[in-house]
Amino acid sequence: MNNIAQNNTQKRDVLVNSTTVIETKMLCRHFGQGDTLVNALTDANLTINKGEFTTIIGPSGSGKSTLLQLIGGLDTPTSGEVLLDNKHISQMTGTELSDFRRDHIGFIFQAYNLIPVLSAKENIEYIMLLQGISAQERAKRVSAIMHDVGLEGLENRRPAQLSGGQQQRVAVARAMVSEPSIILADEPTANLDSKTGIELLDMMKTLNEEQKMTFVFSTHDPKIMERAKRIIRLEDGCIVDDECFS
Amino acid sequence: MLIAKLAFRNILRNRRRSLLTLLSMGGGFFLLCLTLSMSEGSYSNIINIFTQDHTGHVQIHHTNYLERPSLYKTINNLDSILAEVEANPQVIGVTPRIYGPSLAYGKNKTFPAQVIGIDTKREALTTRLKSKVKQGQYISSDISKEGYFEAMIGYSLANNLALTVGDELVLISQGIDGSIANDIFLVKGIVGDANSYEKMNVYLSLPAMQQFLSMGQGENSQAHELAITLAHQQLAQPFAQTLQKQLEVSELTVAPWQVVESSFYNSMQADKKGSYVSMGIIIFIVSIGVLNTILMGTLERTREFGVLKAIGTRPLSLFNLIILESLILAVISCLFGLLLSLPVCYWLATSGIPMPEPIDMGGIVFDTMLGEVSWYVVIVPSVVVIASTLLVSFIPAIRAAQISPLKALQAT
Repeated sequence: MNNIAQNNTQKRDVLVNSTTVIETKMLCRHFGQGDTLVNALTDANLTINKGEFTTIIGPSGSGKSTLLQLIGGLDTPTSGEVLLDNKHISQMTGTELSDFRRDHIGFIFQAYNLIPVLSAKENIEYIMLLQGISAQERAKRVSAIMHDVGLEGLENRRPAQLSGGQQQRVAVARAMVSEPSIILADEPTANLDSKTGIELLDMMKTLNEEQKMTFVFSTHDPKIMERAKRIIRLEDGCIVDDECFS
Repeated sequence: MLIAKLAFRNILRNRRRSLLTLLSMGGGFFLLCLTLSMSEGSYSNIINIFTQDHTGHVQIHHTNYLERPSLYKTINNLDSILAEVEANPQVIGVTPRIYGPSLAYGKNKTFPAQVIGIDTKREALTTRLKSKVKQGQYISSDISKEGYFEAMIGYSLANNLALTVGDELVLISQGIDGSIANDIFLVKGIVGDANSYEKMNVYLSLPAMQQFLSMGQGENSQAHELAITLAHQQLAQPFAQTLQKQLEVSELTVAPWQVVESSFYNSMQADKKGSYVSMGIIIFIVSIGVLNTILMGTLERTREFGVLKAIGTRPLSLFNLIILESLILAVISCLFGLLLSLPVCYWLATSGIPMPEPIDMGGIVFDTMLGEVSWYVVIVPSVVVIASTLLVSFIPAIRAAQISPLKALQAT
């Protein structure tokens, strides 16, 4: 493990006295073999605590998305462990992993990835339906989150009838509404114009502060870096820096 | 509920493709329905003609009579058995018959003939024999002024013996008491044609036959066969089973027409299997179209499946979604196909298709190919279309369920 990153992690463990949401131990992800072997992530040790607003930065191909995919249980590590809420997600079966993602992880994708045949409200409601939450509770939460993300009045619009920024707000609402342990966002502002991207980030930061929801972003957008409370820098699949800001 | 909503909306998403699939599946249903209607209608028509010609739908014999006919294997207590059979509401007609292979003598010629004693009134109500009289008249049990009973002879036998209406016919056989049976009969009518079942038969009235073969008469009447016609030919097998139990006479066997005319039934079944091949081809073509549509639909939505899986949708739910989409399409297609098929099948069943060359089957002329409208004609295509659709949907459904969310999200 890189010494700087290790020192920073240890420092953080002392400074932040809160519940650990994510822990990765010697996490590796390799693609291909022999001459074509690519080390996308090497020996990544990481701890993220509840309520953090963390940004993973690094150049293209540095392993940001790979790290997020492994944390989110979308990919399986070559070696090492991922513990989310103290559960080994790399050992889970397909259905267990689906249920775990449904209950513990919220995803925000670069391309919004809303379900085109569902309205904004239905997209947000979808996960709660999977969770078996009552209609009354669903309606209450949808109403509240639509207000929080500033989409009141657009509930019945389909994604194609929304702007990129509005779609990403719906995606944020969808990720948050099930009250997951962590929200993973893979370059959420990459497809948005500068102004919309800043508005979205400010909104997410406000939600993080108000609702103590844990956010982990991957980005190379300086605007996100400015707002981050913690920045983890990746280079060639290795964590080379881990800085916290007050 | 959510899966159903998603399924419906996914179907409506690409309306043109869904409509084409619907047309293809509905067309398949229509073709299947029509094929079945025509084949079932034709078979029903043939069976009806065949059974109403002489066999009836059900027959009663002395045990083993069908395998080894004998003059001595008779049905006794004829009147009580007739009454018991007639008490059944499904029975349209029942008629007793006595068989006696004989030697027939006409004008200087002798030929073997099957002499059949019939209850003239009952036979006329049960089979088409009366309508097949080509010359002269249908026989009665009357005795002529000269003291002769009437006889009705088959077309070929009449030609062979050079007999015509009004001539005398001499029959020689063996009586049930072992005596030599011989008598003179007056030809009252000639039935059928050179191809018909009765071409070498001689028909006598029941009293004439009983007297000829020295069999019991009146209360002691006997017969070799009871032919029964029912309200519908499909009732034959269950009715035969019920009647067998009901009769409680161990020496009698009740057999449906499928057993009595097993060679005809078996050849018809073999012919039916041949028609399954054409139905199989229709199903195959429709299935390929459906598979293509569902596969295209799932391939286009690969990324969407990745999102659904990433946010926590279980693999089984995705599988169910694809299957449900196919099921909805299949059910709508069946309804559409049914709307198209029913009027056509009804027209086929009522008017039919006139045949360019009428076919003569044993003296009965087929000039129209009739269809049939029945639950079978409607339900079989529905089951086949739905089942084949679900079957081909398994491939894309399994693919969607097993897809890695990461790979799916990376799909373009």
